[in-house]
Amino acid sequence: MAVKAMYDYTWPSRSAAELYGDDQLVHVWWRGNPYFVSAQTFRFPKAMPFGALVNDVLKGFFTADPDFVPESLDTAAWKVDHEDLVPDLEASLEANGVGHKSLLEFSL
Amino acid sequence: MTVPAQKPARKLSMKQRYTALTHDLDWTPTYVKEEEVFPFTTFEGIKVHDWSKWDDPFRLTVEAYNKYQAEKDRRLYAVLDGFAQSQGQLGLTEARYMNAMKIFLQGIPVHEYNAHRNFSYLARYANGPGARFAALCQSLDELRHAQTEIHTLSHYNKYFDGMHDWHKWTDRVWYLSVPKSFFEDAQTAGPFEWLIAIGFSFEYLLTNLLFVPFMSGAAFNGDLPTMTFGFSAQSDESRHMTLGLEAIKFMLEQDEDNLPIVQDWLDKWFWRGYRLISLVAGMMDYMLPKRVMSWKEAFELYFEEQMLNGLFKDLEYYGIRPPRHVDWAIGEKEILSHQVYWILYQYSHAAAFTTTIPNAEDQEWLEKAYPETWPIYKQVVWDKAQRVMDAGGRYFNPGLPQLCTVCQIPMGFTEPGDPLTQCQRQTVYEGERYDFCSDGCQWIFEREPTKYRQSWLPVHQIFQGNCGGPTLPDVAAWYGLQPGDGAEYLGSPDHQAWLEWHGQTTKEA
Amino acid sequence: MSVAAESRPVGVDIQENEENRALVEAIEADNDDLTIRHMPGMIRLTKNGQLVINQASVEARLGRPWETHEFQLAIITYFGEFVEWDDDQIIIAWKH
Ligand SMILES: [Fe+2]
Ligand SMILES: [Fe+2]
Ligand SMILES: [Zn+2]
Repeated sequence: MAVKAMYDYTWPSRSAAELYGDDQLVHVWWRGNPYFVSAQTFRFPKAMPFGALVNDVLKGFFTADPDFVPESLDTAAWKVDHEDLVPDLEASLEANGVGHKSLLEFSL
Repeated sequence: MTVPAQKPARKLSMKQRYTALTHDLDWTPTYVKEEEVFPFTTFEGIKVHDWSKWDDPFRLTVEAYNKYQAEKDRRLYAVLDGFAQSQGQLGLTEARYMNAMKIFLQGIPVHEYNAHRNFSYLARYANGPGARFAALCQSLDELRHAQTEIHTLSHYNKYFDGMHDWHKWTDRVWYLSVPKSFFEDAQTAGPFEWLIAIGFSFEYLLTNLLFVPFMSGAAFNGDLPTMTFGFSAQSDESRHMTLGLEAIKFMLEQDEDNLPIVQDWLDKWFWRGYRLISLVAGMMDYMLPKRVMSWKEAFELYFEEQMLNGLFKDLEYYGIRPPRHVDWAIGEKEILSHQVYWILYQYSHAAAFTTTIPNAEDQEWLEKAYPETWPIYKQVVWDKAQRVMDAGGRYFNPGLPQLCTVCQIPMGFTEPGDPLTQCQRQTVYEGERYDFCSDGCQWIFEREPTKYRQSWLPVHQIFQGNCGGPTLPDVAAWYGLQPGDGAEYLGSPDHQAWLEWHGQTTKEA
Repeated sequence: MSVAAESRPVGVDIQENEENRALVEAIEADNDDLTIRHMPGMIRLTKNGQLVINQASVEARLGRPWETHEFQLAIITYFGEFVEWDDDQIIIAWKH
């Protein structure tokens, strides 16, 4: 539905992909662990290898939960935008289908 | 007031005085067209045939308005004065009580002022004299609310952190973007939608959940100024409720084509308002050391009983049904406050209030108020937070949360019937993905995507480099936060000062 | 299904203080089957059908003239509708 207005109402998104250059926003969600109250939003290069995301970022980040075992991420089940994903650790986020404001979800 | 010897005889009855001083002062323009004088009341599609049908049941005139508002202010400022003079802040239940007030006083005065602005616009641009005069009164009321809240705040600011830059915070800090986006959403709508949004949905349908249990909570916790400005504002509010109810009935009675438009707005603004006051749920159940009632009980009393079983049975006559997604809200009543406070707890290092783990007494109360759900959250989150604390740490979330595009609250709300799995909703619009906390927020977005894609989402703005820099200290500096404004309550400057005032030290406590 | 207006509750929350005592007593006297609930700082009065406030009853207890407009100083919130607000009487009820 169009916004009711006295003129032709159209304004751009305040979070469009172009605003982040070679980077993009990604929401990382540890499903089933409400200790992190919501999914986390990060800004990552689109070209970042999936393996670097897991090993260099997430394994450290989630240690805020004292029960987190970093190695458990090696066998995590992944989904991107609600679809199953078997990640290629060498390939970039983009090549793994992780786009701007994608929801990257894992369960342990 | 003095007692006159006998009642002065009145020439006109109340109804006649009201009519003489509002409706009878109106005239029909002859040398300009009506749509030139009132250009903003047609584009929303609401059809009005007879503006004279809009009446104010309070039958207020300028004279009566001034007289009673002056009396309200006189009473209020006497209390504020007495409180300041007697060092009333010493009589609060605990310093941590102030955190609930901080969120309220940081987030609301600016929007009282915004309400003042928008009602003065209606006082000029509504076609009928009844609507214009009621809007004029409300416009002045809302200005008074902004002022009395700021006066209350200015006393507390001398003794507590988290008060000094409320005006700047309203525009910048992440959790204050929640009320800001709500009010700006309403202000940028047309006049009729504004009336359904603020006048009806917020002030009639939901206001009791915001004010009544909360102000009664202030009374219970020794916070006289808040209790007094709260009840004083509420006395105006009952007039605002009346305006809201008058507005919706007027639209429904004027033309049956208005029904679907009104229903749609009602559906939108119920959910918008309900999500906004979820902050109050967290404040009521977790931030008040002494509680009058739980969120759940307030919701049942003031919303389910009064509104669903009272008001909506009345509106059924016009073809109005209860708001869309109301069942979702009912389903959340047992878990809402747990989830909201858990959000506030883990992000309070980036806020202008402090939080702490519910103490033994709080936990006992929570267990009684929420026998089904409290044990779940205690086990899954609070016991762990306590373990971290016992080991000398304090759990703060090291990152930034995913925000709902519509309500702007971190997406910590869960799927219906599943208290541990966060709800994730996404919509792709013109090739871009947008996130929502619930079906309600997603539905609102999909009605007007070109409006909500402009959301100023604090997390996204930080990542775009618009908030002072990429690190937490950068952002905190840009927010204008000072040490002591946020983070953990125990050991905070507020806590230490409180103990000192009462002759204790942190070690003894 | 629609529940008749006469059997649905209406109510009003009033600041509980000395100034309002006569008003509360007048409401209690003029409305049978009133439900009363005390909360810190306030008192909540509810009743099925309609709730009436009579100027004469308030004045009799107050010992001075009382305009119905003064009710605005006492009220915190209400539910129902002001179906009547005149010099001598205020009535809260549902219309439909
Ligand atoms: Fe207000
Ligand atoms: Fe208001
Ligand atoms: Zn939302």
